[in-house]
Amino acid sequence: MSAFRKIAPPVHSVEKIDFIEPEHQLLPGGTSFFTLYGGTQEVVKLDFSFMAGTWFETSKLESMMAASMISEGTSGKTARQIADRIDFYGAQLNSLPYYDNNYVSLLSLKKHLPHLLPLLAEIIQDASFPEHEFEIMRQKRKQRAIVDAEKVGLVAQRTFLRSLMGEGHPYAPISSPEAYDNVTLDGSKSHYLRHYYSANATLFASGDVDAGVQKMIVDNFGSGWGTPFPYKKDQPQIQSAAQKTVFIERESANQNALSIGKRVPTQHHPDSAGLKLVTTILGGYFGSRLMSNLREEKGLTYGIHASVVSFVRDAIFMIHAEVTAEKTEEAIKEIFLEMQRLREELVPESELEPLRSFLLGRMLEDFDGPFARSQSFSSLYEAGLSVGYFDQIIHTIKTTTPEQIRVLARTYLDPETMYTVAAGKK
Amino acid sequence: MIQFDKTLLKNGLTVIVHTDRSTPFVAVNVCYNVGSKHEDPNRTGFAHLFEHLTFGGSRHVADFDTAVQMAGGANNAFTSNDLTNYYITLPANNIETAMWLESDRMLGPKFTKKGLDVQKKVVIEEFRQRNLNKPYGDVWHLMRDLAYKVHPYRWPTIGLVPEHIASATLEDVKDFFFHHYAPNNAVLVISGNIGSSDAFKLAEKWFSGIPSREIAPYLLQTEPPQTTDRELTVYRDVPIDTFYVMWHMGGRNEKDFYKLDLLSDILSNGSSSRFEVKLVKEQKLFTEADAYLSGENEPGLFVATGKASPGIDIQLAREKMLEEILMTAETSITDYELEKVKNRVEADLLLNEIGYLEKAIQLASFEIMGDAAEINNQGKRYLEITAADLLKTAGELFRKGNRNTLNYLSLQNSKK
Repeated sequence: MSAFRKIAPPVHSVEKIDFIEPEHQLLPGGTSFFTLYGGTQEVVKLDFSFMAGTWFETSKLESMMAASMISEGTSGKTARQIADRIDFYGAQLNSLPYYDNNYVSLLSLKKHLPHLLPLLAEIIQDASFPEHEFEIMRQKRKQRAIVDAEKVGLVAQRTFLRSLMGEGHPYAPISSPEAYDNVTLDGSKSHYLRHYYSANATLFASGDVDAGVQKMIVDNFGSGWGTPFPYKKDQPQIQSAAQKTVFIERESANQNALSIGKRVPTQHHPDSAGLKLVTTILGGYFGSRLMSNLREEKGLTYGIHASVVSFVRDAIFMIHAEVTAEKTEEAIKEIFLEMQRLREELVPESELEPLRSFLLGRMLEDFDGPFARSQSFSSLYEAGLSVGYFDQIIHTIKTTTPEQIRVLARTYLDPETMYTVAAGKK
Repeated sequence: MIQFDKTLLKNGLTVIVHTDRSTPFVAVNVCYNVGSKHEDPNRTGFAHLFEHLTFGGSRHVADFDTAVQMAGGANNAFTSNDLTNYYITLPANNIETAMWLESDRMLGPKFTKKGLDVQKKVVIEEFRQRNLNKPYGDVWHLMRDLAYKVHPYRWPTIGLVPEHIASATLEDVKDFFFHHYAPNNAVLVISGNIGSSDAFKLAEKWFSGIPSREIAPYLLQTEPPQTTDRELTVYRDVPIDTFYVMWHMGGRNEKDFYKLDLLSDILSNGSSSRFEVKLVKEQKLFTEADAYLSGENEPGLFVATGKASPGIDIQLAREKMLEEILMTAETSITDYELEKVKNRVEADLLLNEIGYLEKAIQLASFEIMGDAAEINNQGKRYLEITAADLLKTAGELFRKGNRNTLNYLSLQNSKK
């Protein structure tokens, strides 16, 4: 076999990533409108982002139900008529609730926009929340929650988040499917009226958004809708559980789910980018230390991951895995051991170098094409960050030293501060 | 329309190139014509276990993952009943790294006892996580076993039981490799920011030296036509009763596949579908109702399933769904409905032409089925379908004797 096989081909590092900001205009109704033109097909994606997530609820599930009811009827159209139109033009309409901002997204062929944009405007601006549809939606969501409550992975993650934040915190998930019995039509509709108005919206239009499409968007969404709601929320108290170790018993489980972690600083903190790098080394990619140890070395799990989950007003560091039930103790021990190693030993350059290249490649991917760019910029703006944050990430990936990594690990990966939630068989 | 160029190397490797200059990346995708259907019934789950093993390095590569990372790339693989597919995506100027790795994988992975032992454990954990430790996780095991008596689609890709995976030996592994992994049993697709002639040159450089191998013959076992309806009821530790009704249908290459795909769309795709409008919203019998195709290359299954609303008897709900299906199949489908689902297909096909990796995977899959060019005939195949065609095909599908029913009931509810 040819000699050239014996050595790895030379590689080039990622030199340049195009962080050019999207074109921006402020519409008369107060909506911030960003355009990300590009792509190879005559397809357009519209993403409306409203500051309307669980953070803004007055009681649990209002945001979820408000998002679910957006396409379920307007004063002029029934849910059926709306669904018929969207489906007839082969479009995809999604209205999704999150922790901070909720999204309403439309993916459509460009040629159908003249039919769909007026409909989208009507849905967003004039949702009527019919009772019949609300009850059906509530049952559907509750049944899904009942099934989810049987999945040890979700049980562990949700309990973990409640332990960190406290039951009543807006980022804390509901503790049982019965919470669906308490959410009301009025509460959900109020949530919609208070938060889905034009000046509270940011719009990202990506894909084949030419001047004609831009004009259509301005015609349909420019003049504004809704009544600005004088919203001021007190920073809710974090009430972390006193008990740092929780075991939720599920007799029939043959794998146990583990969620381990703590609250960490938000993306505005100077350590945030560095901490993300440390988390990646620990468990953020296939070659990570946790994957190498627990999966590739010991075969204790199919997958183990560490990540920093960034909310706008908080952030958590979390390790998650589903492991052989009878090896739960061993898995926890190894997870803490890997954190300890990062606090004691310097990460060798032979491990850092491929990781730096890998992360630059993923960063390049985050800006590949209009839809990916739109996603990257909407997350950036939602967090209240500017484009300089991307440069900071690049700088961190390229220059963070093993010594700095150890300092970050010593600061943030102190075992005494970690919460450990396990769900499964004792 | 997805443009591509195709050539055949002397060793039998098919090479396809699709140029997409809108991305700075390329995908190097190698698809092997081996899936769980090629397995011995007493050693199932092997193709998928094998996929895991090939990441443990090869003759000239100590560590696949580090090499991919150094090149700023990402890699993964999947195994289905029909095929095993590997891909690497990376910045276009680093394509040689991917060619080096994938050609070396084809040349010969490095198999060690330790690697095998660990990956057996990992795959058994995957089995547990996906199929044993999750509500409704064993549904496809039960469905396949009920619907197929002869064809190897009767077991899922993960395997029939964890014991089959546990008993695999290093000898089995080597044997499997040399009988299935070969240039003359694979398709290489290169897509993204590269021209055809450059890509073909690289394919020649890296892959042409790999010898052809003798492929184990695939003994096609046709499932005999089902003549009697079958029904199985199981009780499991799940919160909600459900059912799965399945009918045998034609393969991916047959015209009926496209017709039944449209029929399943009319029944359940989107909020304006018949199931959603009638069964979920009007009659409130279900919180979820779905119809779909299992989608394999050889004759597969048309599936209808649903979760009944609280307080609704599951048998009643199932009968109402079957009535709705038969009504759709026996009376006319409106022109409006047909136009609607065709519009959806048009949009979906165009959206499928956006991602350079997705295009590579699809091109490979169509080539394994016989001809990559078929990828561009899909639109035509859907558009030429008439309402009368649909009714005829549906009539054959829903004939008496062709039905398999799995009642998947809650143990807790049955005790109440």
